[in-house]
Amino acid sequence: MIYSLLILSSPFSGDCSRTAAAFARCAIARGHTVHRVFFLDTGTLASAANSVSAQDEDTALQSWAELADLHSVELAICITSALKHGMFDQTEADRNKCPFSTMDPAFTMSGLGQLVDAYASSDRLITFGG
Amino acid sequence: MILHTLNAAPSSSAFADCLKTIAEGDAVLLMGDGVYAAIAQTEASRVLEATKATLYVLADDAMTAGVLNVSAAVSSIDIAGFVALTETFPRQQAWY
Repeated sequence: MIYSLLILSSPFSGDCSRTAAAFARCAIARGHTVHRVFFLDTGTLASAANSVSAQDEDTALQSWAELADLHSVELAICITSALKHGMFDQTEADRNKCPFSTMDPAFTMSGLGQLVDAYASSDRLITFGG
Repeated sequence: MILHTLNAAPSSSAFADCLKTIAEGDAVLLMGDGVYAAIAQTEASRVLEATKATLYVLADDAMTAGVLNVSAAVSSIDIAGFVALTETFPRQQAWY
């Protein structure tokens, strides 16, 4: 089956973002396709390139970036939420006169239309909130 | 047939709203702060057991929260069990 995920949870509060990444890995291992992961609201903080965690802590960013690298999972970030939370790709950094990009390159800026498209083109849309 | 993923403490309005919508044939997966409703002999586990839904708890989240005495009516599942539930249930409702 084709899965898409909607991530509303901050990676810095609770385990939901990490659980979602584990869900995506497991779905792929079970033979499914994960088409798109859409990050909205505080979920967009998963793309924070400059976030530093304790050495013994797996970060949500690592988990998501691996899914993009190894399994071509599209990591789509809601641009409105991202900008509110200070997440800029290089284009938005230039446009908003921010000296550098704050978003990991594994993620792409996107709009809510991509969420609607994910819902329409997937067999399952699984939401992770809280 | 809806899979309710309940990531909210038993005292929350999300928890109460979820309870109102559970129907026969549904499944409830307790995760995050929702795992406290899996504790045996509590008001929260009793009201969940009174529904006609099949009850599950995400084992990793229960362990993280220190929830060890899980009600006998609640099955502990891992992430593969979660994916398997979404294979069976065409629709999911996230409560948080």
